[in-house]
Amino acid sequence: MKPENPRHLGARIQRLEDPRLLSGRARYIDDIRPNNCLHLKFVRSQVAHAKLLEVDTSMVEDMFPGTIVFTGKDTGALSMKAHQDYPEMQYAEQPLLATDRVRFVGEPIAAVLAEDAYQAEDAAEMVFPDFDFLPVIATMEQAQDPALPPLFDGWKSNVWVERQMAGGDLAAARAGAAHVIRRTYRNQRQTGVPMEGRGVIAEYDQSMRVLTVWSSTQMPHLVRTYIAEELGLPESRIRVIAPDVGGGFGVKGQVFGEEVLLAWCAMKTGRPVKWIEDRRENLLASIHARDHLHTLEAYVSAEGRLLGLWADITVDVGAYSTYPFTAAGDPGMAAKVMPGPYDFQAYEATFRGLASNKCPLGTYRGVARPSAVFSQERLMDDIAREIGMDPIEFRLKNIIREFPYRNVLGFTYDPGSYEESLLRMRDLLQDDIAAAKASRTDPKTRIGVGVACFIEQTAHGTPDFTRRRVPIETGYVAARIEMMPDGEVLIDLGLQSHGQGMETTMAQVAADALGVTPDRVFVRHGDTSAPYSVGTWGSRGGPLGGGAVHVAATEIGTKLKLIAANLLQASPEHVELADNRAFLRDRPETGVDIGYVARSALRNIDRLPEGMSPGLAAEASVDGPKDGTYSNAVHAAVVEIDVPTGKMKIRRFVVVEDCGTIINPLVVDGQVRGGVVQGIGSALCEHFVYDEEGQPLTTSFADYLMPQAPEMPMIEVHHIETPTPLTPLGAKGLGEGGAIGPPAALANAVTNALDFEVRETPLTASAIWHMAQDAKGV
Amino acid sequence: MKNKIELTVNGKGHALAVEPRRLLADVLREDCGLHGVHIGCAHGACGCCTVHVDGAPRLSCLTFAVQCDGKTIETVESLGGTDATHPLQQAFRKHHGLQCGYCTPGFLMALVPFVDAKVREGTMPPEAEIRDAMSGNICRCTGYQGIVEAVQDTIGQGLRSQGTGQ
Repeated sequence: MKPENPRHLGARIQRLEDPRLLSGRARYIDDIRPNNCLHLKFVRSQVAHAKLLEVDTSMVEDMFPGTIVFTGKDTGALSMKAHQDYPEMQYAEQPLLATDRVRFVGEPIAAVLAEDAYQAEDAAEMVFPDFDFLPVIATMEQAQDPALPPLFDGWKSNVWVERQMAGGDLAAARAGAAHVIRRTYRNQRQTGVPMEGRGVIAEYDQSMRVLTVWSSTQMPHLVRTYIAEELGLPESRIRVIAPDVGGGFGVKGQVFGEEVLLAWCAMKTGRPVKWIEDRRENLLASIHARDHLHTLEAYVSAEGRLLGLWADITVDVGAYSTYPFTAAGDPGMAAKVMPGPYDFQAYEATFRGLASNKCPLGTYRGVARPSAVFSQERLMDDIAREIGMDPIEFRLKNIIREFPYRNVLGFTYDPGSYEESLLRMRDLLQDDIAAAKASRTDPKTRIGVGVACFIEQTAHGTPDFTRRRVPIETGYVAARIEMMPDGEVLIDLGLQSHGQGMETTMAQVAADALGVTPDRVFVRHGDTSAPYSVGTWGSRGGPLGGGAVHVAATEIGTKLKLIAANLLQASPEHVELADNRAFLRDRPETGVDIGYVARSALRNIDRLPEGMSPGLAAEASVDGPKDGTYSNAVHAAVVEIDVPTGKMKIRRFVVVEDCGTIINPLVVDGQVRGGVVQGIGSALCEHFVYDEEGQPLTTSFADYLMPQAPEMPMIEVHHIETPTPLTPLGAKGLGEGGAIGPPAALANAVTNALDFEVRETPLTASAIWHMAQDAKGV
Repeated sequence: MKNKIELTVNGKGHALAVEPRRLLADVLREDCGLHGVHIGCAHGACGCCTVHVDGAPRLSCLTFAVQCDGKTIETVESLGGTDATHPLQQAFRKHHGLQCGYCTPGFLMALVPFVDAKVREGTMPPEAEIRDAMSGNICRCTGYQGIVEAVQDTIGQGLRSQGTGQ
């Protein structure tokens, strides 16, 4: 629950990490330069699907003597294994370097190690793989064509997994329905694209048998565990450090084969080895996301009540299963979250992940939810259109109002502000709705308003992963806190902060419990020297990381009060900690500096109460609630479409959101706005295009288009705060939500403007122009 | 083969021998130790690597170091020191115009001359013009809003301090 009368929690304070980042003094992966370092360049497959016959490296030895080349013959059976233990799931591994077959353009075939990065790149061009081409699976239809051979030996089909989820009596819902509405929706392939690509440096100290790996990752502990298991090393002798990380968005929330390979190369060569991904390989071969096709059928009563939902969910998961969320992750997540914020108790979903000769799918901000919410919220509008109701009224008729709510799949939703946020949004949109209506007869300029209402299961705990039998296995976050003899505080946080401002927010949380100001709290993160944690993903930094810091800091705070009470000859319950002092609540002038108390615990321990052990350190780990804690939000887009050209302008983008307790509004607003603009990119422009040979056509920023400043609106953010009883601070997860709503909100706005049902993204000017041509009465 | 060049970087002279193919970004990062120069795409589309060459913003990933022989170069390190005291840096902090920080040096180096020019002209540009001024830079974290507000705030401060603000 939310702590009472916090001093720093909830304050809009400027970020403590900013001076380092603003002054160019931050240290990202490429800024780390071990002495005597080898630079690695990958030779990657230029073909989508082929037998790999031979890798000719003889030219490298001739032209660049001293250069080291490793191929799949050297790394052998070392591989990435990411299996979800579903009986239906087909098993496959990705070798660290391709051994006998390549399955997507960008798959690593050889690693070339030279004295500098330019030389490594020169030498890599002299490696010649010989291929025997195989039929390419480049579409969802081909992946489901039994005439085409499977990607992996021993497989029965190109379906990684197909499963069902169900709850309630769907036959009864169907039988009782006055309206049956069936639609198919599609979202394109895209990804997170952090401005800093991936990068890994590995160094092995033979005398100590210690392996150090620096990686631009969101999950250092998981990287450590995977490397230890795959290379057979004691995990105690591996340290993984994520330095400053230039954006992640889920892309860096996987363990990559490159990380394991660099560790192997460092051990093999006895020298530090460095790999900095270039933008082309980042777009080709880091991970991709989305690529969903959903068919939904809704059963609706004559009064406009949603009685049940049937869903068929297909996701093109690509060539390999990624660790730790697997090829079943995205399709399963879409099926799980499709019921959303609406009250109905009959549901059946089939979800399947297809194998294709494309880059493997992984996590990207929102993880399947942007696609699920796109379909769910487009469907809500399409139902409203078909039964002749206002879309907001139709939602209000079906929105969940009573909490805790047990949904059709058995998940329990903690309290939220679903109805209130929708009502607030309706008020905020009054003028726009009127303007949209008034534009209906305008042949040139149409205004449209679209809303998307959604919930996000965040900070889910271990049972959620156990239930899915997914190799991530758990979801807890830990922190260790130590107060120094001068009263300064060190937090070793098991998360990695790459933009989320945790050096500030975690300091705010600790500061309240320890009675210090946030500037006296130093937050170290992204390092396996912190206690074991799963890393930064799944919107758990605030609720669970903040929770762990709160619990550990409170333990130290309690001890500080006992010591101070002894020093002040008072009882501990009369002692308060604030403003870097311990003092008596009733007589604030009677007190001591917090550093004096700390020194009593660590150096002058003769000042401690009798029998008390020295020391001021505590560690806590906080797992998520069983079903997670549910954030909710309503997004709305107001668009203006120039009908003759299809050019669309976003007039307004409004967010009403509820993430429970807010630790720092500056950071919360930033997370929401940044997520929304990524979501706008998902809706309007970002698209990985492959041709029929499985060749990617979008391999630079000239082809893969992302939102830039001139097209983006100011994002209006409104907050409702419903703290959850399920996490220590009452905080719910927030990092991903911004990216979830925009595709649905924008598509609904276009639907409203053109009176034409949008079925797919991206909503490019060309797509909108075509819809305007097809729309009735435009 | 290496060419001998002389660069004045952040006020300091550097005599260097560089291969003609080496990018200015790599030379600034590796030979001059200025790791505030970030490479985001290495094909001139994201603006992360923006530095000033003879006072004008330039993409150091599309510039060879040998092209800059005899020229004066400024990087983000020259702006406000380790405490980031330049008014635009302070405004970025106040308005949360950065998150992961990777694109930030490029934005700052692209926008400082714009801010200076507007203050000299004595006009507060409309929001669309500010957004256009950063159209060569991609930020993936902030959604640009905090950056726009930081630019407005800094120009406003500049106009007020010289008494030309509206």
